[in-house]
Amino acid sequence: MVYGVLRMINFANSEIFMVGTFATIIIIRDLFKFTQASEPATGARLWLILATALIFSMLVSGVLSMLVEIVAYRRLRRMNSGVLAPLISAIGVSMVLAESVRILTDSRPVASPRAMEKKFIGQFFDAGVRIDNTIIVISALILFAVLITFVNKTRMGKAIRAVSMNPNAARLMGINIDGVVSATFLVGGLMTGAAGFFYVLKYENTASNIGFELGIAAFTAAILGGIGNIKGAFYGGLALGLLETYASFFLGTQWKAVTVFIVLVLILYTRPNGLFGEALTQTRA
Amino acid sequence: MINLRDKGAEIWERQGRLGRVGIALGGLAIAAALPFMGGTILNTPIADYESVLVYPIAMYVLMAIGLNIVIGKSGLLDLGYVAFFAIGAYTMGLLGTKTDLNTWEILPIGIAMAMFSGIILGVPALKLRGDYLAIITLGFGEIVRIVALNLGALGRSEGIINIPTPPAIFGIEYRFDSHRIYYWTLLVLILFAIWMVRRLSVRRAGRAWESIRQDEDAAELLGVPTFKYKVWAFVLGASVGGAAGVFYASKTLFIAPDNFTLQISILILACVVFGGMGNIWGVILGAVILGYLPDRIRFISDARLLVFGLVLVIMMNLRPDGLLPRKKREKAIVKKDAL
Amino acid sequence: MKKRGLISVAAAAALAAASLVAVAPASNAAAKTITLAFQGPLTGEEASVGQDELAGMLYAVKLFNAKNKGKYIVKVVQADDQGDPAQSAKVAPGIASNKKIIGLVGAAYSGATIAALPYYKQTLLPMISPSATRVSITNPAAEGGAMGVPVFHRVPPTDKVQGPSLFKLATKGVSSPKVFVVDDQSAYGVGLVDYMKPAIPAGQSAGFDSVSDKTTDWSATISKIKTAAANVVIYTGYFPQAAPFFKQLRDSGYTGILAGGDGVLSPSFVTLAPASVLEGVRLTAGTVPLAEISAKLEADFKKSMGKASGVYAAESIDATNVFLSCVAKGVSTREAMLKCVKAYSGKSLTGATIKFDAYGDVAGGAMNGFEVKGGKIAFTGPVK
Repeated sequence: MVYGVLRMINFANSEIFMVGTFATIIIIRDLFKFTQASEPATGARLWLILATALIFSMLVSGVLSMLVEIVAYRRLRRMNSGVLAPLISAIGVSMVLAESVRILTDSRPVASPRAMEKKFIGQFFDAGVRIDNTIIVISALILFAVLITFVNKTRMGKAIRAVSMNPNAARLMGINIDGVVSATFLVGGLMTGAAGFFYVLKYENTASNIGFELGIAAFTAAILGGIGNIKGAFYGGLALGLLETYASFFLGTQWKAVTVFIVLVLILYTRPNGLFGEALTQTRA
Repeated sequence: MINLRDKGAEIWERQGRLGRVGIALGGLAIAAALPFMGGTILNTPIADYESVLVYPIAMYVLMAIGLNIVIGKSGLLDLGYVAFFAIGAYTMGLLGTKTDLNTWEILPIGIAMAMFSGIILGVPALKLRGDYLAIITLGFGEIVRIVALNLGALGRSEGIINIPTPPAIFGIEYRFDSHRIYYWTLLVLILFAIWMVRRLSVRRAGRAWESIRQDEDAAELLGVPTFKYKVWAFVLGASVGGAAGVFYASKTLFIAPDNFTLQISILILACVVFGGMGNIWGVILGAVILGYLPDRIRFISDARLLVFGLVLVIMMNLRPDGLLPRKKREKAIVKKDAL
Repeated sequence: MKKRGLISVAAAAALAAASLVAVAPASNAAAKTITLAFQGPLTGEEASVGQDELAGMLYAVKLFNAKNKGKYIVKVVQADDQGDPAQSAKVAPGIASNKKIIGLVGAAYSGATIAALPYYKQTLLPMISPSATRVSITNPAAEGGAMGVPVFHRVPPTDKVQGPSLFKLATKGVSSPKVFVVDDQSAYGVGLVDYMKPAIPAGQSAGFDSVSDKTTDWSATISKIKTAAANVVIYTGYFPQAAPFFKQLRDSGYTGILAGGDGVLSPSFVTLAPASVLEGVRLTAGTVPLAEISAKLEADFKKSMGKASGVYAAESIDATNVFLSCVAKGVSTREAMLKCVKAYSGKSLTGATIKFDAYGDVAGGAMNGFEVKGGKIAFTGPVK
């Protein structure tokens, strides 16, 4: 989303995600005193824990994301420096974030104790449906709907879209560009923080170096779906996930990335603007 | 803030032919004498100073010049440049251990392989623009590494060992530990690459790239065969990367997929942008600094990469166009185009 | 070579000023200063392995310095190679030309070791690696002979020993094993599988998979395991990936045996997944975790180093102790150190004999078996 508005790859986003996973674990492990030996929580306490962790992770990531914008991007944006300078600046920020966390964690991976039992709650075409996956899918859909409404219906959402289409015109219309960009990063960070929470809920592990690889995957998904198109990014992510699973099943896990890449080239070759993309030339003016 | 690039250009223009030759020779002499300055403040703790000059510094410079053709000259964002480096290195590794060919005979083959893969990747990818091109090249870089990781013939994760050093040429012997000799050879390769780029930039190709970088649609309308020149820039950049790869494999004697990660692509890109995109002297300076810095600051051990990241952020904020940006005249046009 | 002298003087000065060293009080002017080095990944993505090994080495050095106050001060130069052969190739010449360094613990990774070997061989710098287990380094039958001779030594048994042992341990007591082996695409994991394959009897293999060590979602591999109806799953890789993999496998309903090699045997391993998930995981290693040797040792280590011991900690301490015992004998040059290491015969932390053969391997080198019980790694005796 940040990508769509600013037309640049935010390399630091994956590290914000990484920080979000740690924020979630801090809540579960340190605030609610879970250990690897404790029994998973149930009932109201479980919902309280999940909600606290989700909100904390979103807030931490959202604020961090705004800070990253101020440190790495704001000055460069004011100077109209083109695309590449902020890119390198963001790479610098992500190195700083990843290395700081690495030093803080003694270079070791960190696990989240199990706060929620991974119950199977039903059957769906032969496959067991697990509660954590269900929560993630439903929450992701809700967040997705909220995001769409926010961007399409609210005043701020309109401002964001205006800046995305033509920043100069938006400024002339009296929109505070700095404020809008900050808000965009905040919203992007909130979403990233939520993703960090879901990640911990599902995988229960994190480390200072997980950001990079996942960031690439997210970026690919965004491209596949179409740049600057939130719906596209959503379907792109879905398609990418399915493709990876099928490819690794039929061809062997080690060739997964190769298959995905070839399919990506084919798609872009036939649909140069992504599956749901807008033509780049139209919005670039 | 003063514009170093314009200051430099001013001095340069004031000189006569003799003065220019003098400056060029002086710069060259300093570069050539670098291996003898290990005892000074330049020395790197822990890592060997002369080895650092060869890899990463000289290698980065060579690769950054190659990448600069792609990004700086024609404005194509390539995030998978390491692929060409890897292809060059694996060509050397395979042919060097399996056949009787020596480094000098393999060098053109490695370059040809890199150029060929440049065409394979370039023809479909260059139909795309900007960000799509970035993700495709990024993917390509990873694919080359993954293929090397999974193909038995390429040694999988164990890599290729016992790669021969180059045989003696003009009576100069290459031993694995004669870092200076490698450094000087690389210097010659770098000079050749600079010469090639400079020749090309003042000719038809250079003008075509310039027009593509500024406004691709307008260039196309004016009859510039943009696609052809884009592929051409891509392939030229690839050839320099391939050459660097061949030489690298022949220096380290051992290559493995771990040597060719995405981080290298990004680092080389950082060199280009950090130094000043499009300006070859800026790019060289950027590569020298970014190659050198992590080894110079080894004494802060644990926080080494953290500080490196900080330097990137601070420098990009202070000098968003790089240390030595391209000429003002060109920059003005770019600015209007940006955002 | 006047220049060389200059360089190493400058390097030594920079090192003295800069490297983090375990220095005894400077009041002992008579004490002899000896410099050793550690090479391994200390920053970047692979840093956890190197940092854990370094802590082991610094611990051994700290004890030695305290014991020999006034006689010796041993310093440690930290050479960070990020586990990357390319980085190793530029660090190694620096270490090699610093004549003050008379012994090197490392390199941690086999790839980095191979890239560094030409320089150490040329300057006869003795190396003892706590974790580089690739067979070809000490294999006289390898192409071009054993490349590590004469400087390379290592404490852990090679993949050649561990591969079959791991298979044996994993299938112990299983009447009709169907074994599925997953490697992490690293040289370590792939090598282990290569030497395990010949030990797997016909009909007992359920399949192989090779998964990047950056993997976070294992569902593709898990569905393969289920399709193959395997009842023994062996993972050859490191603990940060092993824990989530085993967890996701168990959560998917798998009830068979789980096993891994010495890369998994870290005290951190059991903190990365619920105790119920890791219960019964079988592990092999050449040595044992400090806590298993004695709880007191681990407590002392934690107090001294400020963190729990990690993977290959015992190996690092053993490797460092070989050098230190030579230092105590008065060795102060590389030549003497090499001779002393070659002739060394002593006990490891676990009481096994450490004695290097002509190619640098520890003679004998049996594997030990472990099992996770109640959230702790418990020693179950040598694998037979």
